[in-house]
Amino acid sequence: MKLPAPPTEKSFPSPLHHPRVATVIGRWLAVAVTICFLTGLYSHFAQDTPSWLPIPSRPASLYRVTQGLHVLSGTVAVPLLLAKLWTVYPKLFAKPPWPPSRKALATMLERASILVLVSAMALELFIGFINTLQWYPWPFPFRQTHYALAWIIVGALLVHLAVKLPLIRANWRRTAEKVPDSLPPAITGLTRRGLFRTVAGAATLVGITSVGQSVPAFGPVAVLAPRKPNIGPQGLPVNRTAEAAGVTGIDENWRFMITGPQQLSYALDELRALPQSRSELPIACVEGWSQGARWEGIRIRDLLELSGAPAHSRVRVVSMEKGGFYATSELPPDFAADPLTLLALRLNGGELALDHGFPARVIAPNRPGVLQSKWVHRLEVIS
Amino acid sequence: MKTRIGLAVAGVGVGLWGLWLLLSALELPALIRLPIWLGGAVVADDFFLVPLTVGVGWLFVRWSAGPDRHRTVGAVRTTLLYVGITSLIAVPLLLRQGKGTNSTVLARDYLRDWLLLEATIIVTGIAGYFFTLRRSRASSGDIGGR
Repeated sequence: MKLPAPPTEKSFPSPLHHPRVATVIGRWLAVAVTICFLTGLYSHFAQDTPSWLPIPSRPASLYRVTQGLHVLSGTVAVPLLLAKLWTVYPKLFAKPPWPPSRKALATMLERASILVLVSAMALELFIGFINTLQWYPWPFPFRQTHYALAWIIVGALLVHLAVKLPLIRANWRRTAEKVPDSLPPAITGLTRRGLFRTVAGAATLVGITSVGQSVPAFGPVAVLAPRKPNIGPQGLPVNRTAEAAGVTGIDENWRFMITGPQQLSYALDELRALPQSRSELPIACVEGWSQGARWEGIRIRDLLELSGAPAHSRVRVVSMEKGGFYATSELPPDFAADPLTLLALRLNGGELALDHGFPARVIAPNRPGVLQSKWVHRLEVIS
Repeated sequence: MKTRIGLAVAGVGVGLWGLWLLLSALELPALIRLPIWLGGAVVADDFFLVPLTVGVGWLFVRWSAGPDRHRTVGAVRTTLLYVGITSLIAVPLLLRQGKGTNSTVLARDYLRDWLLLEATIIVTGIAGYFFTLRRSRASSGDIGGR
């Protein structure tokens, strides 16, 4: 018995495997990738701020928007990437160039660049989505790999654009559509416009059913999102619980300290007796979920003033949590001086729940949730 | 040509920067295993998901050539595709249901929600089918429905 011949580029009769279709879906994918890359870069620098980059503390909800967009654009890119791969799928079966020549070498290099692009992008979207579930089944560190792959994707994408530029230009505007004789599109076959509508519909559907973790209005229909913004103690989700952080609460000897020009120390009741301020600020996490909340506590700038430090001081925030990357965090001067930045004692009208950082936590505008240290017991003025 | 060369040079530079980041941030065991995962991602896409779509599409075109199928073909195709893509994204959520790191992660009943979502897509598909059917009959004057 003879095995069936492997497919060739000609084995795929659909006229939708066409450069015009690839160009249109490629443009959509490029928009998603660009948004995802830029917002990801912003998130990276917000978490790990280099000294040359001043990140402003306003607008207060900026990080909420950029990180929501990051996860949304990444999720929406899944159907777009699949549609793009479907369109160009016959190319996978194109004959390898032979005999060796300069042109053959160029073709092989181009294919290698596409292998890099497709593998990096598919893995990037996969680990990005799985990370929003806080699930890490892979044997490499998530954050570093996700960041490095992003640069590799952008590099491979630029090479891809360089190779395909003439084809993209030729198909930038609508080109004549070949209609198969046997299956008039009005009856069964899908037209290009029909395909574009279907793909756009799929992307929209995925977006609507997942964006609710960042946009509470869509929370009830966020059936494809790992978070619902109002689920959690005091109506706010939690990333790291007190139990996971090894924090069990405080005893009556607990004192809060500020080390600045003057050393100050307060019992919890003394903190409560200081002038209290209110801030409406969101918790916005790197996993894309966010939720606004009402916080009450002492302005960090007021505490700095009490200790004799200028409002624009760099402040190290020390938590009682054990282990983890963020047992200490740093408040840059603009954030320490912002009147919205609090050492919060209360949340949504009640005392902070232990999982939200009882007895005291930092809450500042435009910051990734992971830097909003909980269970704070010391502030150190660095400069 | 200048634009293309510029793009290619920039692309190689940016890609190498990413590679350097990878090499400097990952330990050797992770660096050895990463290509396996990258390969796995290609296999999942190019040798499972896309062939599945192509195969279903091929069966679908054959089926749709049958008598009187032209009325349902659009609605069935779109419904199948939307059920497929939403189910794909639901897979990790269904797998991890109840296994979140704390009670506020994956707090939904994802099985119920996924079934509801698919049911909604199918019902919308059926409604869309009857809507287009009525419209096409009205426009062709075939109001009797014969």
